[in-house]
Amino acid sequence: MSFITIENVTKTYQPNGVASRATVLRGVSAEIEEGEFVALMGPSGSGKTTLLTIIGAMSQPTEGRVVIDEVDVYDLSEERRADFRREYLGFVFQQHHLLPYLTALENVMLPLVITKLNAKEKRTKAQLALERMGLGDKFDRLPNQLSGGEQGRVAIARALVNEPPLLLADEPTGNLDSKTGDEIIGVLRALNEQGQTILMVTHNPEAAAATHRVLEIQDGILLSESAEPGCHAGQSLMEEVCAD
Amino acid sequence: MRLIDIVIGSLRRRKGRMAFIIIGLAVGVGTVVALRSLTATMEQEIGAQLDQYGANIVIVPKASSQELSYGGVTLSAATFDLRQLTDEDISRIKSIKYANRLSLIAPKLLGAVDIDGQKFLLSGAQLDQEVRMKQWWQVVGRVPDKADELLLGYEAAQKLGVIEAVKSADHDSMLHSDHTSVRQPELKLLRTELTLGGEQFRVVGVIRETGAQDDQMIFAGLPTAQRVLHKPGELSLIEVSALCQGCPIDDIVAQLSAALPEAKVSALQQAVRARLQTVERLSRFSTALSVVMLLIGFVMVFITMMNSVVERTREVGVLRALGFRKSHIVRIFMIEAALISLLGGLLGWAVGALSGVLSAPYFTETGAGAKPSLALALAALAAAVIVGVASSLYPAIKAAKLDPTEALRYY
Repeated sequence: MSFITIENVTKTYQPNGVASRATVLRGVSAEIEEGEFVALMGPSGSGKTTLLTIIGAMSQPTEGRVVIDEVDVYDLSEERRADFRREYLGFVFQQHHLLPYLTALENVMLPLVITKLNAKEKRTKAQLALERMGLGDKFDRLPNQLSGGEQGRVAIARALVNEPPLLLADEPTGNLDSKTGDEIIGVLRALNEQGQTILMVTHNPEAAAATHRVLEIQDGILLSESAEPGCHAGQSLMEEVCAD
Repeated sequence: MRLIDIVIGSLRRRKGRMAFIIIGLAVGVGTVVALRSLTATMEQEIGAQLDQYGANIVIVPKASSQELSYGGVTLSAATFDLRQLTDEDISRIKSIKYANRLSLIAPKLLGAVDIDGQKFLLSGAQLDQEVRMKQWWQVVGRVPDKADELLLGYEAAQKLGVIEAVKSADHDSMLHSDHTSVRQPELKLLRTELTLGGEQFRVVGVIRETGAQDDQMIFAGLPTAQRVLHKPGELSLIEVSALCQGCPIDDIVAQLSAALPEAKVSALQQAVRARLQTVERLSRFSTALSVVMLLIGFVMVFITMMNSVVERTREVGVLRALGFRKSHIVRIFMIEAALISLLGGLLGWAVGALSGVLSAPYFTETGAGAKPSLALALAALAAAVIVGVASSLYPAIKAAKLDPTEALRYY
């Protein structure tokens, strides 16, 4: 069995004041192996972020199931699912979502707050994670005292501090200039080279080019897979990049 | 780093808003504390006044026809009463429902005696109690504790040639007043032996001039008086003190009347009781105001916490994504509420206690400031925290119930 198995996942929801249900995902199935770096691509509203949150144990699918490391995620109770997120998953968000009133070190310590580690262990782990991101000298900076790239790296350090088997990134380069975006993608690739499994939502073909494989989604349906992204992909979304 | 560190960090960031809510709570708690401590002071003052005025209930036999009176109550020397009060009535008084509210039961026997050809009113009483009840008495010498000892009123003592008033302080005087701070003439006992009903007695103390009827009286222990007056076991009146603040005096009178159907039970000190009622009304008012204040505090914290939840929706989404359970989110908001209300309660208590002390002179006769009481401080803190936590329960649960993906998308 694959590390992550997505089986026939459908998601519908009823917007407020609308009689009919909107379908966001239609019978999506996919598998991701341990150690893979996978991009999830698609235009706005295609359902890629919804799929990420479903894989991220945050949003119950209407149908289908998600199995990660042989755990059927939505068989767990809501509170146990929170524990699962803490133990198995690291999230990197588009806006980084650092808490503005906590220092870089404190932000990285957040996922450890609810663990049984003692104060010293928490601090040491967070320091190591930040040092790994090259931010060893910025522990006490508040987010607004950091550059966009540095904030992104703090967000990655926070996602990794629990050493989760799976890193989920939602458009980590979305709000960044291209240089900073490249910096973040570089960090992710380096992590993947060290064995980290990563699933990244992006609509940036350059970012997708850094991955092993692209899952393309449109109107809630998984279109196709390209085992080797970049210029071999043959998908419309890649063409602009290949043309360069 | 613990949950509370997240809370403190977030509070630091929203200093202005938090200061506002803390001050709001403090004003509420402060008002309640000031009112409470003021009414407590006023109640204490009234209680002390009641103590000074003495007994507030007098029990006498119903039928009477006679010439001797005491404390404005006419007493019977005649023997044809339907029924005299007796020692047994004491135990009946102690059996009423509100017996525990009675601080003092002082039985007395009064009767006319002849000494050296002059008529005096002899009062037999439990003199140690009598002295406690009549706090204005200044006894020179001591209170009788033996069967052959007497205590004399000021005028009676003069008539019997026991004392004469000495104008200036006389350091050779054999007796000294306990109240040395008050400049009063020293009293000198000229004679201590008296013959009463053929028995020899010794005068051991004289009461300084009171301006009341006590000045003309002779006091002895109750059994002594009963023996001298040949009325064994009989009583002329029973004084009862119900000095507890806010005592249901009317109920006590009714219960005493029921227990002693042949006696007349009357409550005294209407004026003081009227004042007590005023304070009771003030106390009720302050209770009502406290409830209103707590309600306002409840609503204020509720609104602030609801706002806080809305403002921090995205933060809740992040924490949930990072693996915080719903219960962790509830705890974060509850800790925040508890911290805020603890600070508000502390500040409010300080302000309230201070204003209670400062405003006391305007509300009480003695002007004694309300002493800051630990119980009130604890009650204020507890009330603030309970209000804060209770009003935050719903917002906290609402925050925990946020859908994490929706919360993350919130702007």
